[in-house]
Amino acid sequence: MTSSSRRKEEGPLLNGGVKQSTWSKAFNSNAVWEEKDEFLDVIYWLRQIIAIILGVIWVFCAHPVKTLIFCIINAGVLYVYFSSFQQIDEEEYGGTWELTKEGFMTSFALFLVVWIIFYTALHYD
Amino acid sequence: MSTMFADTILIVFISVCTALLAEGITWVLVYRTEKYKRLKAEVEKQSKKLEKKKETITESAGRQQKKKIERQEEKLKNNNRDLSMVRMKSMFAIGFCFTALMGMFNSIFDGRVVAKLPFVPLSYIQGLSHRNLLGEDFTDCSFIFLYILCTMSIRQDPVLDIDPSTATAMTHPTLERRRAGYKWRRFGIDPLATGGVGCSARARLHV
Repeated sequence: MTSSSRRKEEGPLLNGGVKQSTWSKAFNSNAVWEEKDEFLDVIYWLRQIIAIILGVIWVFCAHPVKTLIFCIINAGVLYVYFSSFQQIDEEEYGGTWELTKEGFMTSFALFLVVWIIFYTALHYD
Repeated sequence: MSTMFADTILIVFISVCTALLAEGITWVLVYRTEKYKRLKAEVEKQSKKLEKKKETITESAGRQQKKKIERQEEKLKNNNRDLSMVRMKSMFAIGFCFTALMGMFNSIFDGRVVAKLPFVPLSYIQGLSHRNLLGEDFTDCSFIFLYILCTMSIRQDPVLDIDPSTATAMTHPTLERRRAGYKWRRFGIDPLATGGVGCSARARLHV
């Protein structure tokens, strides 16, 4: 990483400290989240990224019960992310269930859309 | 590119445009009004006050303290309800527009297979996914099913356009999930920015 791109990610604070950008915090374990919405947005976007990746992969994968496997992977990966990697206090965000359902339906719909588009393109184009 | 795939992409594009249209209508009718901004600021202020009070309260706090908190919670709920009532206006306008648009799109895509589903939908969904299509191949996808899926992937609730975590906001005011346009801040757009729609200083995409 060059120094200019590193400067892009971090900005100076008034007290002379350095503030991390949201995405660099997302990939650092045990990051400090001053704003709860910030962390919830990270959860939301990670879910959408997982949905897109799995939607593409599922086109090439012949396995029954794919939808159920998607739900398990989506919920499981994010659970490991916020409980083990970030080690946040779930109660501050309304509990494990609130974090699990944050952006879940949107990511499920996105997964189906991506899967349908790629399947249609590859098999019926 | 086959016609079917072109239709698939077109429907994705239509759903993006209609989502933007709905948000645009909501912004014109609701977000930029003084009443909504005032109510929103009031709700945020009360939420912060309530959160601070709850943090300082102890087990042995008197009845008066607890009654005070209950009164503040009631006030917050009333303001949240007023906020929802203000948004009701835009919901009617959106409902009216979309009824007309859906009628038009349904007639354009009537009887057309717009995509192939990589799965056979559950029987109670087949009525939607195979709507107005000929034949018994239930992997044929109709316009309405794909449109609904696309809209769901963009918006939280494509029909009512409400935040499904409203109940959470009521019980966990610290979460502030009812802030206007929060879902757009995920795309780096703050509909309440001074002067109208603009990019928030802390764009959620961080690019």
